[in-house]
Amino acid sequence: MLAFLIRRLGQSVFVLIGITLFVSFTIRLSGDPAVALFQGASAPTPEQLASIRQALGTDRPFLQQYAEFVAGVARGDLGTSFRTGGPVAAAVMQRFPTTVALALSSLAISLLLAVPLGVLAARRRGGVADLIVRVVSLLGLSFPNFWLGIMLILIFGVRLRWLPPSGYEGPVSLILPSLTLGLILASTTTRLVRSSLLDVLNEQYVVTARAKGIHENAVVYLHALRTALIPLVTFVGLQIGGLIGGVVIIEKVFAWPGLGSLALNAIAVRDYPMLQGTIVVLAVFIAAINLLVDMSYALLDPRVRVG
Amino acid sequence: MKTRLLALTLALALGLGFAQQANTLTIAQAQDPQSWDPIDTFFLAWGMIGSSIFDGLVERDLDMEIGPGLATSWEWIGDDDDRLRFTLREGVTFHNGEPFDAEAVKFTFDRLLGEEGAAGPQQSNYTSIDRVEIVDAMTVDLVLASPDPVLITKLAGYGAMIVPPGYVAENDDETFNRMPVGTGPFKVVEYVSDDRLVLEANPDYFGGAPSVDRVVFRFIEEPSTRVAELQAGRVDIVQGVPISLAGSVENAPDASIVPVGSPTVSALRFNHCLAPTDDVVVRQAIAHAIDREGIIDVILEGYGTPIASFQSSMSLGFDPELEPYAYDPELAQRLLADAGVASDATVQIDFIGSDAIFREVAQATASMLEAIGLNVELVTHETNTYYNEMVPENRVGHLYYSGWGGWTLDFDNTAGLLYGTGQFWNPCFTSQEVDDLLVAQRQTYDQDEREAILQEIARLEHSLLIDLPMYQHQNLWGVADRVQGFQAPADDRHDLTAVSLAN
Repeated sequence: MLAFLIRRLGQSVFVLIGITLFVSFTIRLSGDPAVALFQGASAPTPEQLASIRQALGTDRPFLQQYAEFVAGVARGDLGTSFRTGGPVAAAVMQRFPTTVALALSSLAISLLLAVPLGVLAARRRGGVADLIVRVVSLLGLSFPNFWLGIMLILIFGVRLRWLPPSGYEGPVSLILPSLTLGLILASTTTRLVRSSLLDVLNEQYVVTARAKGIHENAVVYLHALRTALIPLVTFVGLQIGGLIGGVVIIEKVFAWPGLGSLALNAIAVRDYPMLQGTIVVLAVFIAAINLLVDMSYALLDPRVRVG
Repeated sequence: MKTRLLALTLALALGLGFAQQANTLTIAQAQDPQSWDPIDTFFLAWGMIGSSIFDGLVERDLDMEIGPGLATSWEWIGDDDDRLRFTLREGVTFHNGEPFDAEAVKFTFDRLLGEEGAAGPQQSNYTSIDRVEIVDAMTVDLVLASPDPVLITKLAGYGAMIVPPGYVAENDDETFNRMPVGTGPFKVVEYVSDDRLVLEANPDYFGGAPSVDRVVFRFIEEPSTRVAELQAGRVDIVQGVPISLAGSVENAPDASIVPVGSPTVSALRFNHCLAPTDDVVVRQAIAHAIDREGIIDVILEGYGTPIASFQSSMSLGFDPELEPYAYDPELAQRLLADAGVASDATVQIDFIGSDAIFREVAQATASMLEAIGLNVELVTHETNTYYNEMVPENRVGHLYYSGWGGWTLDFDNTAGLLYGTGQFWNPCFTSQEVDDLLVAQRQTYDQDEREAILQEIARLEHSLLIDLPMYQHQNLWGVADRVQGFQAPADDRHDLTAVSLAN
């Protein structure tokens, strides 16, 4: 287990180096932050641009800037934002809980919906309930998340006035954005639970359990479901990355002050340090989740450790 | 973080987070400028809020007239009009209690023109000022390095807003960016990045205390969400209502649309370095081929004004006599034939892909140009790449979008930056006559004389077809009925002192 952990940690370090190099390089290709400051409102002279570049430190060679960034990351210092003049680490860590809260509550909603519905559909395979679940989950897959978000805002925020349409006003503000992401994620998850449970229900040991006269509920919940949910663990781990991508869009729709809006604004004004810092923190987070998933898988299935 | 969550939960339990508070005005705007320091930014998002926190030596009111601000009077002195003397307002204090005086003015401009200003974009607007000299505690001289007839207007906003020397010196850069202190009608009490800025009325404001107790600016980038907040009754004023949503605001029971003519004009600029748009006859053909009235009626739903020059009707240099080129596709076809353009010639139109309205305008324009026998290719770009690389490096097609309109409302800005030979955003067009006129209007402080010269430039723009102005924008504000005394600012810079709320 230890050897597995060390090997995976080593891989994660390479992934992080690759990501930071890629992000640092591509955002520098995308435009000059000194020019972006002028916003088409005034024409900078070459001397003015030079003095701004010097103040920002973007006049130095790329590899030097990158090396300083990586050295900073190793010390836990993500640099200073071009735009706010403040430390990037503080800004990112302030946003981190709001984004994670959104991602986790979306995940929770999707699981709370997907597991019971998936089980229901599998048990009534071919029945009306199965058909409804399958059609609804297919519909859910087809909705763009921003469209669903705006619909939920119009229904629950504007028409019924039950919930705040946008912003960050405490736990109640979480409901609409996490419902948006959760409903869409639940669509895929429901289908996974259904097919996984159907597979297990055909296994020999389930047939044996039934033959022994065990009550059907006990067969499904005590014997089959636990095995059927193992692929779900992997699936959820893989979804975290995609979920963070969805969060970026949903944060914009719901004016949710998280890492997504931080990253998008940083791109808009070419705030290199802020974007790099946001990406590093998100990458570490996603890598950590995947590591946890792999470890839990390794615990569940000994073959992974040697393979 | 924990305390913030706890406070939010408590506020929620008490039902405070949800409904509008009695005397709090809530305004939703798209962008958070991320720094409130006047020297850091050119963002309109800063300008919308900046004049509520800070004051300049002079102020511009909602009718765009310049009047006294932190200075009560000013005069040009010296032999060559190179010295501008300001008499300062007595008894003004900053929000933190610091006194406003000549030291504060000198500190502000030393900072703007010095090393700190050099790290930001605003300095470039004030390079005509050589230095500030203190005459006595309540009198200062601005000594000019070069003539600048737009200077007094520029002192009314953005980089020239007066900042408190003590507060700036005692705190680091980030603190001032986050919790700025000025002399304005409102003081900053809370700022949550990308979420909200909370202002409280300054009861000691020299212009009189504002009517509302608090103003909350919320930053909501998505336009349909901003409008939904207005419809839900949680926001009083919404900036930038998209034309497609104007109808639903008008239909809302307790809100309406307030349109206001904006300084911004949308134009198609011609690439004078590419054939066939290097030929003025071809440019005339294109100008006559486009039905701009139709575009305004259908795509802008009437929220726009046809315009003959790349400046709004508020701008110094606007000539009301100048008529836009008439829509005449037959004439356009003849002109195209006269110019010897092959019947299947292709022109390319470049624009910013995220601009949904202009995308439709470009598509309509393309079909009108195709109707006179041209092939049209549409090419889109990302905003920053477009203005910072494609346009300056002339990597654009025959026609390319430009939206322009400086807050100074003076054609010197647009004409200087877009028509002057070798300017950053003018990689191609050159005319000695225009260059001479641009220089001439900067040598005089006589505004009537300047207006005549700037109008001359506008007539040249029109006859040479340097560019093709399409329409002047109207900004749409969504305003709740309970808001009283709100005048939509043409330059987006709010004056909220007269706004009150009905119960």
